[in-house]
Amino acid sequence: MKRALAAILFLLTSLAAAPAAEPPSGMKPFVRGSWQEMLRAHAGRPTLVHFWGVTCGPCKLELPLLGQFMKDHPELDVVMISADLVPNLPYAARGMLEKAGLGTAENWLFSDGFVERLRFEIDPAWQGEIPRTMLIAPDGKVTTIEGSAEMPDLEKWLLQQKVASR
Amino acid sequence: MLRMSLLATLAFSLCQTVAQAQMSHHQHASEAACEEVELRCASKVTPAFASDGTLWLAWIAGSRISVASSKDQGRSFSTPVQVSKEKLNLDWGPDARPQIVVEKTGAIALAFSIFRDKAFNGQVLATRSIDGGHSFAELQPITSNNESQRFAALGLDTDGTVFAAWIDKRNRVPAREEGRKYEGAGVFFASSKDGGASYAEARLASDNTCECCRLGLAFAGPGRPVLVFRNLFESGVRDHAIMTFNDPTTPGEVRRVSNDDWQISACPHHGPSLSISSSGTYHVAWYTNGKARKGLFYARSDDEGRTFSNPLPLGRSDRNPTRPYVLTGPHGTTMVWKEFDGEKTTVNAMISHDEGKSWSKPSEIATTMDTSDHPLLINDGHTTYLSWMTKADGYRLLPIGDGS
Repeated sequence: MKRALAAILFLLTSLAAAPAAEPPSGMKPFVRGSWQEMLRAHAGRPTLVHFWGVTCGPCKLELPLLGQFMKDHPELDVVMISADLVPNLPYAARGMLEKAGLGTAENWLFSDGFVERLRFEIDPAWQGEIPRTMLIAPDGKVTTIEGSAEMPDLEKWLLQQKVASR
Repeated sequence: MLRMSLLATLAFSLCQTVAQAQMSHHQHASEAACEEVELRCASKVTPAFASDGTLWLAWIAGSRISVASSKDQGRSFSTPVQVSKEKLNLDWGPDARPQIVVEKTGAIALAFSIFRDKAFNGQVLATRSIDGGHSFAELQPITSNNESQRFAALGLDTDGTVFAAWIDKRNRVPAREEGRKYEGAGVFFASSKDGGASYAEARLASDNTCECCRLGLAFAGPGRPVLVFRNLFESGVRDHAIMTFNDPTTPGEVRRVSNDDWQISACPHHGPSLSISSSGTYHVAWYTNGKARKGLFYARSDDEGRTFSNPLPLGRSDRNPTRPYVLTGPHGTTMVWKEFDGEKTTVNAMISHDEGKSWSKPSEIATTMDTSDHPLLINDGHTTYLSWMTKADGYRLLPIGDGS
């Protein structure tokens, strides 16, 4: 009986640990509600949110620059969201992030076929162009950069946050 | 023992719940309703009417391209035929879709793109059927060049020639070799005189255009294809351009549709729509997020695209209007687009009876609560229909009233 119970318990725990939502690449699935969840988790901290995708040409050039920027600024929270349409490609995405030095960033992957709704939660006016960077100040103020971001602009913004928090 | 079986039942039911959750997560994560090849599982559906009024559909589902026809305006369909035996790594870009034209003879020409490698280099494949869609010839690359092609558009000229245009990155190779920077991609074109079985050598229509948007294709008259495309103007401005061919092998001048001033180093994945009326008026609809204007717009030209009317904004700006489509027909010009309120997607339509000078008020003609394909328009010579694939409600073909 005890053994049977243990077996069932084992079954239950392994089921609970089953990757019901987590893609095997270790990237967090970005679904309905994830945007607010992410914002809450970083509230009060300067946060750089970058939307990118494995099929996006300009993203390939920008990722390594962002990887270096993250390394240079440990005080900044860096959130990377792969916003390709599904079928999104977790392994290809993971590979590109590792190569760009962004493997340790907070990495999300669009995992909802209803991308219009995901984008609407983030910004109702956004139609899915990537790359896209959203700089979120500790007071919640959002600065959006459409297309590739210039690193000096990011430096400037981060400096403003430091000045504001003094 | 009773307790154990209760526990077992509990474990079993939990097991089921997890399985269901995984399944629903999986379905939720997909833009298609199911993974099989049937029409109801399709993510993209492209329609074409044959001259006898038969509706033909080509769709992407279950990693295949399938084709079927309907004699009753989409109420019932013939047994679908897959154009390849094997699964394909089909281009899933938001603006990618199979292209289908049906000739007067009943021959069917198809073209679509696949990703041929892990770097997402594309290849446009073509095939045709000469037995009423029962079988398709072996898939052939539309061009022998093997760099990267995507976003093919097919059009049928009056003499039965199939005209194809697509986005092609071949010119980045010589640029790379010479150490030059190469921006965007080229619009290439080729014609088929044998109903899409083989295409003439591809030629360049315009270089350094935006690489990630569908093309708009229509004819200004016999042998005069017209292309509208998102171009790369100076300083990386991705505004729209139009080109009227002098003849099927001679590209014309690149003319600007509007000065939206959208400078962006990104892929909009949101291409334009073009239709030309029998009297020669050009109708163009497009999306921009430029400094000069943001949103969906429409403009008309009476001089082959040399000048365009002031852009007319479409849709409610607070409802994220997307994916405009315009089509002229014997009873006027129709325009559709999607709007989204956070939960519900609506297709809105408006109609013009004076070549786009004035339009009816927009009206909601269809809705869905989950993801959906772009709304398309198609005309059988009498009626204009909305052709729309939705994940939750399947495929729809809806006649659009004339609004008068």
